[in-house]
Amino acid sequence: MKTALKKGLSSGVVFGIVFIFLLLIGLINVGSMMVGDLLGNTKGLAYNDPLPTSNLLAVLAIMGLLAGISARKGEDESKWWVSFLGGLTAGLVSGILAWLAIWVTETMSIDGVNFQTYLPNMDPNDLNYLRFYSTPVAAANTYLVYFVVFSLIGSALKWLFSINGWFAKCWQVCREGVSTWKESKNLKGVLENRWVMLVAFLIVAVVLYFLPLAWGSYWNYIMGTVAIYVLLGLGLNIIVGYSGQLVLGYVAFFAVGAYTFALLTAPEPHGIGLNLWLAVGAAVLTSTATGFLIGLPILNLRGDYLAIVTLGFGEIIRILIRSDILTVLTNGPKGVTNVGQPTLNGEVFSDVNYMHLLLLLVLIGLFIAKRLKDSRTGRAWIAIREDETVAQATGVNTYRYKILALLLGAAFAGLAGAMFASRNQFTGPEDFTMMVSINVLCIVIVGGMGSLPGVVLGAFVLKGLPELLRELEDYRLLVFGALLVVMMIVRPEGLWPAARVKFKKPSGKQAKDLATEVEQ
Amino acid sequence: MINKLRNLKLTPGLILRLLVGLVVLIYLGWRIYQTAFGEGIYGPDTWMRFLITGLVVGGMYALIAIGYTLVYGILFMINFAHGEVMMLGTFAGYFALEAFSAIPAPSAADQGLSFLNANPVIALLLTFIAGAGVSALMGYLLERIAYRPLRGAPRLVPLISAIGASIFLQNAAQLLFGPQRRQYQNPDLLWRGTGWMIPVGGKEVMLTYTGLFSFVLSILLMVALFILVKKTKLGKSMRAVAENKQAAALMGIDVDSVISKTFIISGILAGAAGVMWGIHNGLFNHYVGFLPGIKAFTAAVLGGIGNIPGAMMGGMLLGLLESLGPALLGLDFQLKDVIAFTILILVLIFKPSGLLGEALSEEKV
Repeated sequence: MKTALKKGLSSGVVFGIVFIFLLLIGLINVGSMMVGDLLGNTKGLAYNDPLPTSNLLAVLAIMGLLAGISARKGEDESKWWVSFLGGLTAGLVSGILAWLAIWVTETMSIDGVNFQTYLPNMDPNDLNYLRFYSTPVAAANTYLVYFVVFSLIGSALKWLFSINGWFAKCWQVCREGVSTWKESKNLKGVLENRWVMLVAFLIVAVVLYFLPLAWGSYWNYIMGTVAIYVLLGLGLNIIVGYSGQLVLGYVAFFAVGAYTFALLTAPEPHGIGLNLWLAVGAAVLTSTATGFLIGLPILNLRGDYLAIVTLGFGEIIRILIRSDILTVLTNGPKGVTNVGQPTLNGEVFSDVNYMHLLLLLVLIGLFIAKRLKDSRTGRAWIAIREDETVAQATGVNTYRYKILALLLGAAFAGLAGAMFASRNQFTGPEDFTMMVSINVLCIVIVGGMGSLPGVVLGAFVLKGLPELLRELEDYRLLVFGALLVVMMIVRPEGLWPAARVKFKKPSGKQAKDLATEVEQ
Repeated sequence: MINKLRNLKLTPGLILRLLVGLVVLIYLGWRIYQTAFGEGIYGPDTWMRFLITGLVVGGMYALIAIGYTLVYGILFMINFAHGEVMMLGTFAGYFALEAFSAIPAPSAADQGLSFLNANPVIALLLTFIAGAGVSALMGYLLERIAYRPLRGAPRLVPLISAIGASIFLQNAAQLLFGPQRRQYQNPDLLWRGTGWMIPVGGKEVMLTYTGLFSFVLSILLMVALFILVKKTKLGKSMRAVAENKQAAALMGIDVDSVISKTFIISGILAGAAGVMWGIHNGLFNHYVGFLPGIKAFTAAVLGGIGNIPGAMMGGMLLGLLESLGPALLGLDFQLKDVIAFTILILVLIFKPSGLLGEALSEEKV
């Protein structure tokens, strides 16, 4: 019982503080707007129509539920009243904190205090909404009641799921079923059948061909960005995921690729006007060369030093691009405009053509990355990632393989950069801040280091979703940061972890043969 | 020595290192010759000004660098979010000063006097306590939430967590307090842009009060830290944990609590540096911690990471190099930040153990 109280208390305090933080940055309000969008419960037609307060209640209910659920995390066998107690404490504590926060801010706001001098996200209109357009005390009481009730419901749900461990058992059975199905001969036979794979590939190809035609230019733009980030992610995945070298300045290669392509094809400032496909090749080559030059001196540094040095390189390249001494070459902070676009049948590439090109490149990239992973080189990288000393002892030339990983990663970035510059028809130094590196790193890590489906999934989650949830735009990086920390604590292997290749133990006769072979 | 040379293999990496070293040396020699014997663009007063700036900024870098070094010495991880801890200290100091300047303390002579100007010493002291306190709390929470659950994980895992925490804190500050730049309210005693005029080479150079104040305070804090580490029981246990966690635990030292206290101490120093940054430079926003953080890390590496006197020296040296460097090398002042990164890269290529660091074993490096 004591532990239940303690857990309830700590969960309540955590959720209370989280609530206050979200209130101060205006996320409670944005959250209710999003809930409204999801439920179709938005404003009326008139401009002045207030947002329905039921959305806000839904947000409060979700927070209460989470508080109640986390209040009895890990206690599976306790009696119902213990979990009731935990949920009650969590709800009361977080509710009281929320009550205080709401009461104080609302009373001050009614008294005419303007929070926005110091806390710009505390808009008075939003505060009216958070008060349900009534008095501070009544509003605060609603918050308290919601937190307590839903925290109780949350802990009750958790309790229901944990009675006799039936939920855990079901879960276990399901997982075992899935894994036996995966291992079963029939499925393997189907998956290994060449014709089945061919048909599946054809279906995917047809779908990918028709999708860009169907969904319009807005979606093509968003999915094009996602595709460019998939390319970047594939490249960084080779460096970070396969060979285990944390490179934080990946944007340097992206920038070099984009600028090479732009400078070779744009009329200003040099007017070279090279053939576009040659320019793409040149972009890939220059960024690979940059990777080689940067990698040579620093790749024998270990882990965290490498991270900081590459971060430094990324910043140096950006500062140099926009500095006065290189303005002659790069056009300085203005950037390069009118970057060349490919043509098809005498017409400039449309958004659909770009999307097709990007999809093709992504498929090729996935193929290359997959083949690399299964090759001798890939196994050498993974050996380096797992333990560099042991890899060296088993005869892997670690230095050479690490440089190779950096080169290939840089090549992907160069290609992505060329595509980026061509599609946007513009490239400037501010496109290549450190945040790009961090975004790509997030994609690789959230997806699962070394996992190819993980990269695609990560790019969709981190680049595609924020485009869809427009209201969350300002909060995106905050969520990224929190996500990185939480991922590392809860699920360091990522959303879609890379499958470990299992080598079968030789059985029966085979094993005997092997044994005699070894003896001889 | 000769054996060592004989065993040296000419790998491409080594050749490139030698080439880079040669080019850098030739360029440096030529530039120094130019500035010393060529037609002097800068008079001695300008050099003096650069020197003062360098020392003041260097003191702040040193304080932040100590935080990196302390944590690295114990956990062998780069506390990437340390710059953000400093940034929160700057914000805390700002709010404290705003509050003090809003509290009226009318005297007989001046009815409109605020608490800030009536008792500037107490107000400043409280400001520093607020800044250091918030930073210390942040350091403690950071360790508890983002690092402690990852004890014993592979090395990249806590580093990524630290990067995440850094992004989170930076954006949290932006969302809470807005992206605009804010200005520190200094007491009249320490008004920015006032100071003593020192005659140098026929001209006068201003030694600002804020600069002198920051420099003296950072030296005092460093001395205090040195005494703490060398003379107190806590310092002794910190050194023991840095040497060997298991052995320290066997001697009855509570390793977790020592680690927490290390984060608190580095938070205090970073918070103080943050308040100094605000008082000396005035304008700041939520990005204020990023560059000083990375540069202080450079300073820590320069001095030899894990080594406290090294971090102090490295900070001072980096501050000086950064302010004297562009003039010395004939570069644009735009490229000031490039210098710090270049130094970091050069140090890591040629002497990864830093200037004062001992050669670390594979396990520690």
